[in-house]
Amino acid sequence: MKTQIRALDVGLTSQRLLAVAVLLMVWQLVIWSGSLPSMTPGVPAIATAIAHAFTSTLFWTSLAQTMTAAVSGWLIAVSVGTVLGLVIGSVPILDRSTSILIDFGRSFPVLALMPVVIMLLGATAQMEIFVVSLSCLWPVLVQTIYGARRMDAAVVDTARTFQIPRLLWFRRILLPSATPFISTGVRISASIAILVSVGVEVLSQAPGLGRQITLAQQAQRWDQAFAYLFFAGVVGWGIAGLLNLAEGKILTWNRQTND
Amino acid sequence: MTDTALRTPPRTTAGADTPKTRSARQPAGLRERSRVVKALLNVLQRTWLIAVVFAIWWTASANSTNIFIPSLEDILLSLRRDLANGVIGSGASYSLTNLGAGLLLAVVVGIAGGLVLGETRRLREIVDPVIHFFRSVPQAALVPLIIGAFGIGQGPKIYTIAFACMWPVLLNTIDGVLSVEPTIRKFSKVYRIPAGLHFRRVVLPAALPQIVAGIRVALPIGITVMVVSELFAANKGLGFYILNSSATFQVPETWAGALLVGVVGYILSLLFIVFERRILSWYFKSGAK
Repeated sequence: MKTQIRALDVGLTSQRLLAVAVLLMVWQLVIWSGSLPSMTPGVPAIATAIAHAFTSTLFWTSLAQTMTAAVSGWLIAVSVGTVLGLVIGSVPILDRSTSILIDFGRSFPVLALMPVVIMLLGATAQMEIFVVSLSCLWPVLVQTIYGARRMDAAVVDTARTFQIPRLLWFRRILLPSATPFISTGVRISASIAILVSVGVEVLSQAPGLGRQITLAQQAQRWDQAFAYLFFAGVVGWGIAGLLNLAEGKILTWNRQTND
Repeated sequence: MTDTALRTPPRTTAGADTPKTRSARQPAGLRERSRVVKALLNVLQRTWLIAVVFAIWWTASANSTNIFIPSLEDILLSLRRDLANGVIGSGASYSLTNLGAGLLLAVVVGIAGGLVLGETRRLREIVDPVIHFFRSVPQAALVPLIIGAFGIGQGPKIYTIAFACMWPVLLNTIDGVLSVEPTIRKFSKVYRIPAGLHFRRVVLPAALPQIVAGIRVALPIGITVMVVSELFAANKGLGFYILNSSATFQVPETWAGALLVGVVGYILSLLFIVFERRILSWYFKSGAK
């Protein structure tokens, strides 16, 4: 938000680059000092591996596989989560009945289910999408429920007095008032989607960046493993940044600053 | 367990004022009874769905012929057996020790770093992209690298947990420090409060609610990384129990382990909420949130 305006600041940008350079230098010094195990690659090795990845089709296909799984799981979670959340949040009895189940679900480490899920669905892309959407569901659901709960009493009364049809009420009153909350949930779950999809691939050997990391590590190609890890981080970083921008643009009417 | 579960979400109950006005007119015994009935109804409303889900799972899986979907009865029986003979107990204590140590490390480093970065604006702006990059690195993908480099011992697991949990604590501490009232900050400067005292008495209390919120976010991340680190390579722990059971085709045990991790995660998050209410009681009393 603030950083975006100052991004043009030449002094700050150069200082940031300097900070990165210092970080890389420290890394290289630690490697030279020999306090890390010998297989950890130095900066030049990782840099070459990163450059190399750019020209390899394997990298681009695995990135595409990871992104496909992450995005489809995320979309499923967002659509299911908002609909369910709006219904649950606007019906108090449902809200009370489901509260313990939802609390349980959101604190469940979904990746712990991996062996079970792999048994049931195999190490396939569908399995990955399932696990991603299961992990992404909770932030969207919980945020939407919060949003739907926070209806203004005066608005509720007015809508009831004028006997607004149910569908119109949903679309025009409930959804807009819950949108700031929903968008926070959507943003959180997008970063979760990347983290979980890579995590699933690391554990299950479903195709994608995570699998390449495990394979590279098993083949003792540490420079490659670090390069892929770097790209996984960059993707997550880029998505978080994009969503932040998008949220600022879409919700300019929203006075309340969340997060 | 359920009792705390019921009270934790701070909800405004719609009919909060009705029982009071009614009870004023009723004799003490009746009032007592109507309160009990109300509490029972509340408990019922919150728990019936869980009973239903449990019953459906129990009956639907009772005659399951799919070897990958054992009956719930089998799952619970194997869970009870392994709880009784201590197989799970020793694994759980190993896992939870790692989690506790990793989380503690993350909290110490995260708060210290957050206080420094929150107070120095220039530094914060310079390292901001770096922090956000590290925070976006998939924690689960770090596990093979760190364990591959440092072996399957306890230390690497703790460091991985600490690394993953540090970022929410750090970012929330920074936010908390920034939320210190500017006037108070000026006061502290005008009266030349020593830096140590300023941190301890002004910045830390003001940032505490945010810091605790950050730790609450870090807790499930820590649990996930704990399990993943053991799923990947370990010879002990809850994750190892799950992995080992699935590798030896002990399907009910695999399910039991996964369910247990879920329950442990849930209990830990409930305990944390209790802890949070305790150390932040002054904050909740002040009417915030």
